[in-house]
Amino acid sequence: MARQLFILMLVLSTCHLALAQKSAPATMARIKGGTFVPLYGAGKTAVPVKGFQLDKFPVTNAEFLAFVQQNPKWRKSEVKRIFADAQYLRHWTTGQSIGTDAAKINNSPVINVSWFAAKAYCECQGKRLPTVNEWEYAALASETKADATNDEKFYQRSLEWYSQPNPEYLPSVQSSFRNYYGVYGMIGLVWEWTADYNSTMLVSDARTTESNNQQQFCGAGASSATNVKNYVAFMRYAFRSSLKPNYTVGNLGFRCAQSINTQLAKR
Amino acid sequence: MKRFTYFLFLALTLSFTACEQAGHSCCVKPTAAAAGKTTATTVANTTGALTDLSLYNLASDWTNQDKQPIKLEKLRGKVQLVAMIYTSCGYACPRTIADLQVLEHALRKYKPEELGITLVTLDPTRDTPARLKAFAAAHHLDARRWTLLTSQPDNIQELAALLNVKYTNDFEGNISHSNVITVLNTAGEIIYQQEGLGTNPAETVKAVEQLQQAM
Repeated sequence: MARQLFILMLVLSTCHLALAQKSAPATMARIKGGTFVPLYGAGKTAVPVKGFQLDKFPVTNAEFLAFVQQNPKWRKSEVKRIFADAQYLRHWTTGQSIGTDAAKINNSPVINVSWFAAKAYCECQGKRLPTVNEWEYAALASETKADATNDEKFYQRSLEWYSQPNPEYLPSVQSSFRNYYGVYGMIGLVWEWTADYNSTMLVSDARTTESNNQQQFCGAGASSATNVKNYVAFMRYAFRSSLKPNYTVGNLGFRCAQSINTQLAKR
Repeated sequence: MKRFTYFLFLALTLSFTACEQAGHSCCVKPTAAAAGKTTATTVANTTGALTDLSLYNLASDWTNQDKQPIKLEKLRGKVQLVAMIYTSCGYACPRTIADLQVLEHALRKYKPEELGITLVTLDPTRDTPARLKAFAAAHHLDARRWTLLTSQPDNIQELAALLNVKYTNDFEGNISHSNVITVLNTAGEIIYQQEGLGTNPAETVKAVEQLQQAM
């Protein structure tokens, strides 16, 4: 009887342990809700961002390898072209191992992944990709301030990163600066996928003929931006708008997010 | 003792259910690489395996204007014109419908079995199947030709991404979106995209005719 009880306890606790690991992640940081004015958005007004959890680090090669091993359909050899282009995981030697550079990049952000692959990875963890607004909101933070928009030094440093070529081997995910929320490498490591990367109207959107004409001209994209000074954000929005969901890029990775409500519900 | 065993089973079942829920049906979504394979066996007689670039690799669940659940793969086998709209849209969407009707008229020599037109809502909250049906009736859309679809926001987002439709909600019920009419071949691959409103349909007509001739 006691033994049965013990087994029962064991079974239950294993499950709960697994649950606890999934829903109370030490690997995520809480981003307090607030408002901000997106570079491109509905007019030039502040939009609300609800509090959410964000991975402290971008997903690494080693983590993505574990995912691919468990989910063969995301292996290089198996993935459908509509979900990831031919360059998918090009920096790995095979679909099932990182290969010769493993020691150097195990702990570096995974790159050459498509939106579908990134999305599937996050869903597997019970998470999702952050929205553009969530990502941009969290990226406003410097080491000390939640919103460092008007911090010249911070802006200059960001600009410098974006103007540097990619190193041959990306540094580890811990190497970039830790921001106000405890999130690392929002700026300074890789570009990152977002859930609604395709929400910015940088293409000619013919909802009004007037703006359509405007958008026929070079530079029209910037003309509807709220803060033309923020070149760093402009680059990100422009980059996103050039993506397709099966594209993979040599400096584009991702991290996952989680809504606070979902998290509570799962507890 | 018996009671306890029963209790043990119950507890086990419960705990496994909990585990499963926590497991998030890992990676069933978004792809359907696996589903593609299953389908290949189930409908092999008519169509065979889905090609790598087929949109129908999306395994998501959709609902049509008659409230019937359908998979995108159901659209397979005929050339499709696809557009994303929302029915409360005042300006662009009626023009998209008009553009599609221009195409429908130009391509009227093809039967509904050869050429389908599919409208997908960007606004699943308001565009219920009933509302889609009323919209179809109001625009005199022939149900043999036109399919109107809705689904979960996430599934709509995936399809929009694949169709290269950019869209965003503006918090006032408007959805800005790019106006694209996509031509899919019988396998569900993107062959041609007509962008903008009131665009000259000649290229799209040509794309459809070439596909029909190739059949």
